[in-house]
Amino acid sequence: MTKRSKLEIVRDILKTVQTNRNSIKVTPLIRKSNLSSARFSEYFNELLTKGFIIERIEKSGKVIVVTEKGFRYLEKYQNIVGFIEEFDL
Amino acid sequence: MQYLTQASIGTEILYSFVIIAISLIIYFGTKELYNLTSHKGIKYFRMAFLFFAIAFFFRSFIKFLILYFDLEIFDFNLQMVGMVSFLIFMYASSMAIFYLLYSVMWKKWTGDKIIIFHILAAIIAVIALLVRSSAIILLIHIILFIFLAIVTLISYYDSKKRRKGQHLHGVYILLFAFWILNIIDLTITNALGTFQILIYLASLSVFLAILYKVIQKAG
Repeated sequence: MTKRSKLEIVRDILKTVQTNRNSIKVTPLIRKSNLSSARFSEYFNELLTKGFIIERIEKSGKVIVVTEKGFRYLEKYQNIVGFIEEFDL
Repeated sequence: MQYLTQASIGTEILYSFVIIAISLIIYFGTKELYNLTSHKGIKYFRMAFLFFAIAFFFRSFIKFLILYFDLEIFDFNLQMVGMVSFLIFMYASSMAIFYLLYSVMWKKWTGDKIIIFHILAAIIAVIALLVRSSAIILLIHIILFIFLAIVTLISYYDSKKRRKGQHLHGVYILLFAFWILNIIDLTITNALGTFQILIYLASLSVFLAILYKVIQKAG
């Protein structure tokens, strides 16, 4: 199995939240992301800072939700990868 | 004679305007991709075209001064406007090429090298202004071209090993070649002669090919 790129990891995290009806708790998200806690924490903070995800308090507790910007990333992901490959960036 | 001057100025303005427009479309067209990813390669690629736009703006301004006032390139060096424009043109055109090279090579070179390129571009610009010799300016750029072509070719063969696919390394080498022709065109009067229009068209085709790929891939 090849090492995932940063872009792929971000895509996978967002996709996991999206496929979970856009609401997932942190613990199952860490498990499904296939990352160590430390690495997940780095990505999680970056996604929060970039506004790709937000934390929301629901009855069941704190959940992670993908924002419009996060959905835009998922939508543009193929373009991003295609562009980087085309220009060998 | 006056008609010829007006036609030349018109051609220069049109040529520069199209290149500036293409460069800015590429720069702003890839803004979202960069905002979403903060990818360094995309950043350097965008910066290359921003610098192309700046370089061509000052190139057209210098050309206008040369044609309108019937000067040689180094006649107006003593005047502040000409001197500053030439300095910015040399710096921006070198930086455009360096950014394009760096967008391909940044993953292979450890550490942030862009500051070295800024210093190198500044040195090239200052030397070009101080020596005021077309031959020396040309020699510096031919040495740079050989270096850039070798690095681009090495990168091409590396990427070919990794995966099959169409890459723009050939287009980049053409772009570097036209960059030198643009320098020759600016520093040596009538250097391109009757080929000037053909070279302008070929240079535009290279920019259009890159724009086409950008639009196709960036969406």
